[in-house]
Amino acid sequence: MNDLDTKEALDIKAIFRLVWRCWPYYRPQLKHILTYIGCSIFIGALFFSFWFVADDLIQNKIGIGEPLQPLQAQLLLLDGSYLKGDDESKQLSEAQRKQVRANVVILALTLVFVIFIGSSPLEYYQVWIFQRVNQKLRVEMLNKAEHLSLKHHSFSRTGDAIYRIYQDSATITNVLQWLVMMPLRIILFIIMGCIILIFFSAWFALPIFVSIILSGYVMRKLLPLIRQKSRQSREYNSDLTSRIQENLSAVRVIKASGAEDIMISRFEKESQKALDAAFEMRFYNSVLLLLSILIGMGSFIITEYFMATWAITERATSLGGIVALVGYATWNIGAYQTASRQGAETSLQAWELSHTFSVAQDLTVGLKRAFYLLDLEPEVTEPAQPKMFPVSIQSIQFESVYFSYQNDNPVLAGIDLTATVGSVTAIVGGTGSGKSTLMSLLLRLYDPDHGNILVNGINLKEISLEAIKSNIAIALQQNVLFALSIRDNILYGREDFSETDVHYAAKIACANEFIETMPKGFSTELGERGGKLSTGQRQRLSIARAVLRDTPILILDEPTASLDAETEQRVMKNLTIWGRDRIIFIITHRLSTIRSADQIAFLDKGKIAEAGTHEQLMARLGPYSNFVEAEQGDAPTEKNHELF
Amino acid sequence: MNYSKLYDDRVDTASEINLQQVLTLISRSFRFVKGVKGLFICKLLMALVSILPALAVPWILKIIVDQVIMQQPFNTTEVPFPPFMIPFINMIHDLSPYEIMFSVTSLLLIALTLFGLRAPAAEQAQEIAQAKGFDAATQSEQALSSGGSNANGLWGLLELSLSIRMTQRLGNALRARLMGRLTHLEMTTLDEQRIGDSIYRVMYDAPLMPEIIYRIAINPLLLIISAALSIYLLQFSYGDVTPELIWLAASLIPLTILVTAPFSALARRIHQKNRASGATTTNRMEESLENIAAVQALGGSDKESVRFENSSEESYWRHRLTVALDMILKVIRTCITWIVMAIGFILITDDVIAGTLSLGDYAVLSGMMFMLSENAAAIGLYWIELQKNIAAVRRVFFFIDYTTETDGEYMSIKPIKEGIHLNDVSYSYPDGRVALQHVNLELALDNLVAVVGPTGAGKTTLAYLLPGFIRPSKGEIFFDDQKLSRLNIKDIRQQVTYVFQEHMLLSSSIRENLLLSNPNATVNEMIEACRIAGAMEFIDLLPNGIDTPVGKGGDTLSVGQKQRLSIARGLLRNTPIIVLDEPTAALDPKTERNMMAALKESSKSRLMVIIAHRLSTIREADQIVFLEEGRIVEVGEHDALMAKPHGRYRRFVELQAV
Repeated sequence: MNDLDTKEALDIKAIFRLVWRCWPYYRPQLKHILTYIGCSIFIGALFFSFWFVADDLIQNKIGIGEPLQPLQAQLLLLDGSYLKGDDESKQLSEAQRKQVRANVVILALTLVFVIFIGSSPLEYYQVWIFQRVNQKLRVEMLNKAEHLSLKHHSFSRTGDAIYRIYQDSATITNVLQWLVMMPLRIILFIIMGCIILIFFSAWFALPIFVSIILSGYVMRKLLPLIRQKSRQSREYNSDLTSRIQENLSAVRVIKASGAEDIMISRFEKESQKALDAAFEMRFYNSVLLLLSILIGMGSFIITEYFMATWAITERATSLGGIVALVGYATWNIGAYQTASRQGAETSLQAWELSHTFSVAQDLTVGLKRAFYLLDLEPEVTEPAQPKMFPVSIQSIQFESVYFSYQNDNPVLAGIDLTATVGSVTAIVGGTGSGKSTLMSLLLRLYDPDHGNILVNGINLKEISLEAIKSNIAIALQQNVLFALSIRDNILYGREDFSETDVHYAAKIACANEFIETMPKGFSTELGERGGKLSTGQRQRLSIARAVLRDTPILILDEPTASLDAETEQRVMKNLTIWGRDRIIFIITHRLSTIRSADQIAFLDKGKIAEAGTHEQLMARLGPYSNFVEAEQGDAPTEKNHELF
Repeated sequence: MNYSKLYDDRVDTASEINLQQVLTLISRSFRFVKGVKGLFICKLLMALVSILPALAVPWILKIIVDQVIMQQPFNTTEVPFPPFMIPFINMIHDLSPYEIMFSVTSLLLIALTLFGLRAPAAEQAQEIAQAKGFDAATQSEQALSSGGSNANGLWGLLELSLSIRMTQRLGNALRARLMGRLTHLEMTTLDEQRIGDSIYRVMYDAPLMPEIIYRIAINPLLLIISAALSIYLLQFSYGDVTPELIWLAASLIPLTILVTAPFSALARRIHQKNRASGATTTNRMEESLENIAAVQALGGSDKESVRFENSSEESYWRHRLTVALDMILKVIRTCITWIVMAIGFILITDDVIAGTLSLGDYAVLSGMMFMLSENAAAIGLYWIELQKNIAAVRRVFFFIDYTTETDGEYMSIKPIKEGIHLNDVSYSYPDGRVALQHVNLELALDNLVAVVGPTGAGKTTLAYLLPGFIRPSKGEIFFDDQKLSRLNIKDIRQQVTYVFQEHMLLSSSIRENLLLSNPNATVNEMIEACRIAGAMEFIDLLPNGIDTPVGKGGDTLSVGQKQRLSIARGLLRNTPIIVLDEPTAALDPKTERNMMAALKESSKSRLMVIIAHRLSTIREADQIVFLEEGRIVEVGEHDALMAKPHGRYRRFVELQAV
């Protein structure tokens, strides 16, 4: 599916638009998200300040024996003697150093146990929040797919939709982290790192800037490549999902054609294609990260040289006496450790930046694929002010209806047809003459290109889709059964009917006969696509499903093609009685069925060639009578008759 | 949500995996390593080499602290440098602190470029290179191309590339194997197996296999070697000063294993349920989208959305359970690590305060302790984390082990000369319903045979027996004098073509659909087959002829057109036996008559079995087999059967002619 512009640049505006699109999915979780972020920042800050203080305590105080700062003593609940140290050497005694150490260990363990354990549910909380966000998008996407017109579905693959709903939609959970939080965090870290480092020495700003500019250049070169590979990877994986889905739903044909090996080799080929794209994407990504780490860490290592050598000369830091808590007025071992850790952290931001940007590539590609599905306009739309479906049905009218699936290939070319209450209309015609399409229009699975369909004179387009579907029932030619029980298949979508209704409908469709012979009766679970039943049985279930709905209009699309004559006649007899105050359309080839219809519409090349009763049309000696003769064959009719 | 709804796969319902099965699954996964032997060895060697530079880092930092900043000469403390540092120490031994720092900086820059020393682990970056969500499915897709590598720098780039390729090949080998087995499943199994579930197994379960190799073999090996080296170095340099520390470090691994191991069975169960519920979600999606026409026509769209929403909700909840378990384990692990670290800290600082260790030694020791405790915790967790992979891989191996129709030893077939003979054949479904009883039948080549009877009489069952889709419960089928049960299923299908009533087309061009059954067919052969099937008349009208794409499941064609295309596809195989299930049901009389004439013509050289209801179709047959309630009631030509005054067939025909 070529829904993505390969050349499209990923600028700030495009990212902003995407983030904005995701907002409605995040909005309901806002409270939770803020709580989560608040907790995380609090805990992060706690740990950060702990290490900031602990470094000085461990290195300078415990390690070397310098006296404590007043705040440090308060924090560790130690008395004034720790502030001065020994009278001669101005150093802490060994016992005092051990006491400081004991208190630091206790403080650290308390922090770990209380804060860390207390905060660990945060991770679960985070998963929960993002799952909510993803669930909303997923459900909305499937819902959209369910309501898209059949025209769309005819030209798209099921596996593609599965991939979009499953894999592509999941990228929305990363939006907050990788498009909002991470960039903010990186900027914050860089600013903070700069401030702290500049306190030590203003020179440190230089390598930071150089490394950011260099990584920016590298990213410009590599990101488009990563984006392209990410898109390929997603497209190929989506194709692969379709391949599996199609292979398995057509597995009977594959078996019957002995084509297993061909299908497997195709699968392997597509699988390899998907893997290659995934590999290349990761490779370019690694190259990008490698380059940015070389730039970032490299400039840090050079800076470290200066830090260490300044510590030798105990050069004054720019920090001076500003921060009383830490004693880094001059370059010493503690100052070196702190500055070096901070420098490493800050230089890593160049790496984090490239990392964030490369994740953003995949993220936006995935999101666009997800939103593509949501952006599809359903061709069949709800009327703005829907009218009620007429309470007592009188007539259905097709007024010069035109329709085509593809522009240059009209299927219906000017259909005029009226059916009145209490009548059975048989729609007859060659294969591909547009019979099923005509009935799909009545259900508003499609809209006509020109012309109108009227129910009691009301245009179908003015009635809500919901009302149409609850007033028209159809038994489809391809008897679709779901992997549910027989009962649920008959009820499908209408759980408001009772068990008695189900039995009644099954009886009219003559389905109860075989259902009752099954060990679990109506509770028998059907296999994938109803595979356990014979075609005739499935056909009768489809009819039962349509009858159950008790609608004023019933469409039967080749309902009896696979039924034997006896069963067919019983079903038809039941239906005629049941349908006295309804309008019934039957698409069929069977003469016996056609003959009993009140009206026959003979379709040819998208037009109604003839309409009328069997007798009228036979007398006309037109296309219909040719059709009947063909069906009966040459001589055999008499042969059959003479047997009576 | 109840248990049965969660496992909506019908075939694979067992859930408990015992320890023995776990071990079997692991060893079976390892058999796949044979296919990637070269990569495996390369990867292992490269990873081993990349352990070494990391070991030097603490010592280099020690030099910065002790010899540069504190300006102490070498050998201030008793602590000796490890042997691999000696050449470097000798080089800088007599230099001034400035010069030492310069040498150290240069060394670090080189190590950074080659090995990415002090850079973040490459694995961490690769893990999230592709955005993933908070569910098992999206995370599995990542696993298929995961590097499982911690190296960085140029060396790391090479190692990562090798690793990804190895992971991919392992995972791909397994999923291709699974896909192959799935298509070879017996027809009765396929009826029960959900497509969505199969998609999940192929796309999301199979990719977790390579991780087993990493978690059982590669990672623990690397971690243990690196831990052993670290402990050895500690012993070498500090063994005399702080022997307790060495013991402490070594105790970490067994401690973590001991504490987390009891969780493994629970972990397995949680992960199994997580995967089953993910498969259910896939089923829901697949079923409703594949049958979208029916769903919309029956007004089921909203119902399908709700069904999907519920199962998606359930699968998210199952996934959160796995997160909760990870969380608990993390807490346990962290507690252990921190207690051990605290003890280690006290031991080290004791010596620092006493003056036996320098501050640089503190840096080395605390760095090493930290690394060791991380490694130990990781090793301790491998077994637990492995349970996820075990749960997934069992779902894969379940179908690899499942009986398929190609299992067993069979003879190859001799071309059929005379025909098929069914000798007292009976068939009952797995659930006990009887479909066929005591069927005896002779079918000769160059005949057109019609199988006729009321719905549910067993016509399709009888036809299914011929290509070996199902096997008789009793009795035997002979191709000439060869027993079908002894023949290779592939060979049988080379002799028998079956054309289904449902017209399953792939969403590719008409040509591709035709070639599916016979990849070597020429264009002329294709056109001839289409002509016999009466498909040429509409193909000629299509804009691109046989290269026109047919849309999903052939949706852009009418049912009658699809049917004719399916028949053409069947004819193209040119086998001596062809079975057609209701080939004419959806055809108008004219098309039907043309097709029957063509079929009759082409049946002169082969056996053609047709299941049919239409009189006009049946009448053309050389032999009519009339079935009722699983038994053959009458066999013969139309006229002969009609001549029987109270014949069942005659009654059947009369009803239809009313």
